[in-house]
Amino acid sequence: MKLNNKNLILSSLAALGLALSASAAIAADYPEKGNFVKGAKAWADNCVRCHNLRDAKELRDDQWITTGFHMRVRGGLTGQETRDIITFLQQSN
Amino acid sequence: MSKTIKPFHKALLAAAISAALPITGFAATDLELLKQEVAQLKNDVKDAKEWRNQNSLMHMAGYANVGYVSNDNPAMEDSFLGGTFAPIFHYQFRDQVMLEAELEISTAEDGSTVVAMEYLSIDWIINDNMILVAGQFLSPIGNFRQNLHPSWINKLPSAAPGFGHDGAAPVSDIGFQLRGGFHIGDMKANYAVYASNGPEIKAEIAPDAGDSTAIDEIEYDGIEAEAFGADGDGEKVFGGRFGILPIPSLEIGVSFVSGKATVTSYEGDEYTGTTIPSLDGVAASTYDVAGMDVSWRNKSFDVRYEYIKSEVGETSIGAYDLATTEWSTWYGQVAYKIPSTKFEAVLRYADFDSPHGSKDQQQTMVGLNYLVTNNFIAKLGFESNDNPNAGQKAYDRTLVQLAYGF
Repeated sequence: MKLNNKNLILSSLAALGLALSASAAIAADYPEKGNFVKGAKAWADNCVRCHNLRDAKELRDDQWITTGFHMRVRGGLTGQETRDIITFLQQSN
Repeated sequence: MSKTIKPFHKALLAAAISAALPITGFAATDLELLKQEVAQLKNDVKDAKEWRNQNSLMHMAGYANVGYVSNDNPAMEDSFLGGTFAPIFHYQFRDQVMLEAELEISTAEDGSTVVAMEYLSIDWIINDNMILVAGQFLSPIGNFRQNLHPSWINKLPSAAPGFGHDGAAPVSDIGFQLRGGFHIGDMKANYAVYASNGPEIKAEIAPDAGDSTAIDEIEYDGIEAEAFGADGDGEKVFGGRFGILPIPSLEIGVSFVSGKATVTSYEGDEYTGTTIPSLDGVAASTYDVAGMDVSWRNKSFDVRYEYIKSEVGETSIGAYDLATTEWSTWYGQVAYKIPSTKFEAVLRYADFDSPHGSKDQQQTMVGLNYLVTNNFIAKLGFESNDNPNAGQKAYDRTLVQLAYGF
């Protein structure tokens, strides 16, 4: 039986999926990892000071970094609170 | 790193071929094709890995709103509103610096497109408690302008009188700002202090009652408190806000600005004479702002109060003396999220006092919001507007707005 195009495509997609899954474990090495539990509390306490809570699944992990730093500037968060919140959102994503 | 990837992809290739070739025979052309696919796959994986490991991140956030307005002003038609698109660009290098820029793009009444720079700053993350915000920034005076004005955050379809681009509260400025947060025991605090170009002032020539070509007096018309690209009057201001949260659900903020500002232009067309007193050499006036804001929330309620007063001291233009003048505004707002529903009811009262009686406004606004999602909100609001001065009229409005934050 010959390898037809459909099998080739399926094989390639499977391999690509595996490869991307492997790369997905590699996250940006900044900011320093925060505390998940403290991040959940800081997220609940601080975000609603101005706006409705945003779901962790709305953005990619890297987008939560920029968003977290933007909100740090806007909301007067400390660096540690920001790292905790980013960790919480990334791990909940 | 490539040493770890290559064996990995050899294994992937073997797995893929094993899965796809349960029996032995295949054509040489198919093998060549597969090799090409794998080579492409390696590149894709490399690209994906670069994306995830990059030192620079780019992200576009922002908000947009569209709507409809109906009013009882006979001189104005009801209208659909093209709304506003406000993209916010973030470009960040690791955890050291972030560039932030927000544009506000809208369609004017004549169909032209209006683009305005809301802010553009380079934020230097100095340490855990301090960030230098340099460039054009939203005024940190009070809470509404810097944090609550985006349409998907503002719980009503309009800003309270005096808090928009129209009044007592400073809007934006250009300068250097230090801001951040810190803990005081179990309490939390945040701060912002800045030095900036500050505002400029407009004056109005009031004509004589019986002769519009004769000058009766010159008075302050308004404060232009949106950022100027260059400091036209050379006078700087200093200001800031300090906020404290005794408990996480309660924030109390106080704000101030102090400095000088100068009359740089005239406003108004009531005076029709040709003699315009020169503004060259006009002495700068003192400029002071004081503000206070309080917010409290629980699971269903969100309560806010904010007060701002701006004062410009006396000066002279030619033979005409301009007296100390102040603008003040405040609002109180209660929002109630109806439990187990996506509905939210909002009530706001605001009182804007201007030196010009025709601009005074007392507003009661009620609104009902439907939260399609937490960042996509359909709003219905009714403004009851009154001018307390005899002979003056303020018109009521009904507004519908769809606001989306992204």
